[in-house]
Amino acid sequence: MAPEAIDDTPADLRPLPPPCPVEESVFARIYEENCGLLVSLAVRKFQVPLVDAEGLAHEVFLSYLRHSEEVRDLHHWLIGAICNASRYYWRKHGRNIEQLDTDVAAERPDPRSRNVLIDLPDNIALAEVLDRMPPRWAHILRLRYIEGYSIKEIAEQQNVTSKYMQKLVAKCLHRAQEIFNGLAHEE
Amino acid sequence: MTHSDDVDHLAECSACRQRFAANVVPFDPAARRSREREFTSVAGKLERERDASSDVVARYLRDTPTDEWSRLAEMPDLRNNAALELMSEEVRRRLHRKPREALAIANLSASIAESLAPSQYPNVVLAQLRGTAWKDRASTLRYLARYDEALEAAERGEEALEPFVSLEHDRAVIRMVKGMILAQQERFEEAYSILADCRRVFRDYGDITRYVQAGRAQASSLYNEKRHTEAHDLLLELLRDAIAASDIESQAGIHNNLGYCAAHLGDFVSANIHFSETVAKFTDLGFTAEVPRTERGAGLALIARGQVTTGLARLREARRAFLMARMVEDAGLCALNIAEVLIERGDRSEARLLTQDVIDEFTAGGMNQRAIAAVVELRDAIDVDDATAETVHTVHAFVESLQHEFHGTAN
Repeated sequence: MAPEAIDDTPADLRPLPPPCPVEESVFARIYEENCGLLVSLAVRKFQVPLVDAEGLAHEVFLSYLRHSEEVRDLHHWLIGAICNASRYYWRKHGRNIEQLDTDVAAERPDPRSRNVLIDLPDNIALAEVLDRMPPRWAHILRLRYIEGYSIKEIAEQQNVTSKYMQKLVAKCLHRAQEIFNGLAHEE
Repeated sequence: MTHSDDVDHLAECSACRQRFAANVVPFDPAARRSREREFTSVAGKLERERDASSDVVARYLRDTPTDEWSRLAEMPDLRNNAALELMSEEVRRRLHRKPREALAIANLSASIAESLAPSQYPNVVLAQLRGTAWKDRASTLRYLARYDEALEAAERGEEALEPFVSLEHDRAVIRMVKGMILAQQERFEEAYSILADCRRVFRDYGDITRYVQAGRAQASSLYNEKRHTEAHDLLLELLRDAIAASDIESQAGIHNNLGYCAAHLGDFVSANIHFSETVAKFTDLGFTAEVPRTERGAGLALIARGQVTTGLARLREARRAFLMARMVEDAGLCALNIAEVLIERGDRSEARLLTQDVIDEFTAGGMNQRAIAAVVELRDAIDVDDATAETVHTVHAFVESLQHEFHGTAN
């Protein structure tokens, strides 16, 4: 007489009691209160590029909707979700994305670089320089030195690596200097 | 409290969550607002569908012959998330009693999920719907012991989720079923690794119920691999988690599993304590059918390990409880388990009395005539001193097969 095997667990769980009716405003509050946290976790803990981190957080919120009735601890669930999503993100992208130089990539505009622009004779000259540059290069310089984005953020926006963006910004600056020198010569 | 950026602490501490999030500004505030609008709009849609679909699935299933269920995929009011959630619930409800019906519903569900318009929900939600439908199909096929097909269904579910990085929890739910299938195919190493990974994911999400469930599946895999000590240790760890989460049903199941492990490890005192804990917890929960099943399983496990007196006491208790619950078939099968031991011990008169009781109970309960005839034949064999333990075992297997055949036909 063989003993019965150890009992297997059911593949599905008993349902939780139905929740109270939920209004859309409750979901809006969940999004508002937690979106920043999820994006921060993806960016700061896992170095996920900001643009992608926003996308990941949004996907986490959408995936939460089908689980909302069974989630007992919202923050634990959302944090677990963004951490796992970030890990999976790197598993999927790890081979295609250059390792970031995090110091350079995260840094805001260099004060010395800012001075380069401040030292330009005036804003008109700056506008003229930017007008004479290829549109994309001008856009990059505006983002970096006027709007204050980091190299990493611009790289994400332009869909290139941070290292490449770092070189491109240097090239743009060099070209800007050449144009400025030309303008000065014309005068 | 020590404040930190540790994720477990962030889950607990509102102040640290605010501080941690303070330094990252939205890359594109307009895009974030647009995403928030999409989120609330989808949330509202899902809620409205749930409100409007409360009994739609049960009604269609009730009013449509089983062999025409596949045609229900065309019904517009079944082609939404709420209806699919209800179908998943119907699968779960019927899995143990009517697995073929459960499979028909899971197939219907997969068919609907795969054919929903891409514009109906965001891609990530569509992927979840498909993943769940394939997981349900995998579960039912596993229950029907069609393991290769079950594995294929689980893998279809994984494929549906693959493009979405945010669906680790959904992925783990499917992979847990996959792990259980692999364990039943005796691919223990793969099963163990998958289940361990699922457990980690469930822990990350704070889903303690599934965390314990995956752990029990891991323990089951270890037990079937005859690694009883490791299974026992893992179960003790899970018992602590289930107690901390006040999950009484899991505690009951874990005690039962621990009973089996202890019996295998020769610690019969401990085995008896765990089995008694299981019975007490199922009784508290009102799971009346689980109480005699536990007693019966415990009795058989103890007898197999040579603890005949204790085992017989448990089998007798199980039979009494089955009769109390009017579960005549199970009570009869339990009596045959007892008769087998009695014959083995040479106690033919009690075995004879017991088989006569079974005949009377089966007759009064209008049971299958072939089952009654088989037990009558057994009683007659005992009368002429021609019955062995093997004879009783064969009759037991025959009656049990009729039970499955009956339920299969009823499906």
